[in-house]
Amino acid sequence: MAKKKTIITVAPTGAWPKKENNPNVPMTPTEIADEVYACWKAGAAVAHLHMRDDQGNGTMDTKKFEETVGLIRERYPDCDIVLNLTTSGDIHADDDLRVAHVEKLKPEMASYDCGSMNWLNTSLFINSPAFLERCGKLFQELNVKPEIEAFDPGMIANAAYYLKKGILVAPLHFQFCMGCANGIPGSMKNLVFMKETMEQLCPGSTWSTFGVGHCAMEMLYGAVALGGHIRVGMEDNVMYAKGQLAESNVQFVERAARVIREYGNDVATPDEAREILSLKK
Amino acid sequence: MSWGPGFFYYQCSACGKKFKYAQDMIPEFGADFGKCPVCGTMGTYIKDGPRGTDDADYYEVED
Repeated sequence: MAKKKTIITVAPTGAWPKKENNPNVPMTPTEIADEVYACWKAGAAVAHLHMRDDQGNGTMDTKKFEETVGLIRERYPDCDIVLNLTTSGDIHADDDLRVAHVEKLKPEMASYDCGSMNWLNTSLFINSPAFLERCGKLFQELNVKPEIEAFDPGMIANAAYYLKKGILVAPLHFQFCMGCANGIPGSMKNLVFMKETMEQLCPGSTWSTFGVGHCAMEMLYGAVALGGHIRVGMEDNVMYAKGQLAESNVQFVERAARVIREYGNDVATPDEAREILSLKK
Repeated sequence: MSWGPGFFYYQCSACGKKFKYAQDMIPEFGADFGKCPVCGTMGTYIKDGPRGTDDADYYEVED
């Protein structure tokens, strides 16, 4: 019997960590492109990308996305990693700016945050019904696969609503975001609940997960054991272990690959990920 | 988009220990959330939020 394939997504940068949090976080287009390539070589099949402005703040500047994607393609023509571009890289960006780079670059995947929330008790992370309908229709038109980020079970129910409405099209792919402040706490019990909620509301979907902070390893092992996929990287964790700053995103990818192989699965290649996620290259 | 974990940062008024609890551990610890891992005294709240530059000064209580 063929081994099960597990997809590693790397999220190398995110919107928040800066060099003072960890000097190894890639921030510039060149740093991000080089890191993506190194992570691909280590086993990442998908790269979830955020951009930073010249001051290091999260930005949805289309030019930064263009430059980074261009660098990956020009410098590393052998790299066939699936590119998944964020639509939520700056909570102050308006809806037009949040999708401008998707319209221009037509990535294979883009994030779709399926609901709004209070963000770290300090600000609003708005994903209005109008924005979600717009993204769903746009992604269908451009053949971009939405990666549905769910920070709590209600966001899975919201995805089921858009599925029924035809804004989203099956099979869906979820990213369960575990342990984020104001989202569902990161525990195995909660991961199982997210999975079962998804299976009940959106049967036939695929899923991946990541855990921030203390639950990162629990979610890694949980994802592999429960038949899901895994996301790792400095967007979610600047610490590799308790009290130990991560040296690179490659370090996270290599650990995930070790866990997957030791469990008895194979690390999915980008083309295998495309097949699992029903991407049309 | 994630911003890493959110923490509650404390200092113990009895022994001076600085420590932090991840916000999503509130259900795990219940009434013990915020207690000093050394002497068990309820800590004095300093701040809450994502990891800052002084994060390493605070011991993370996990169990």
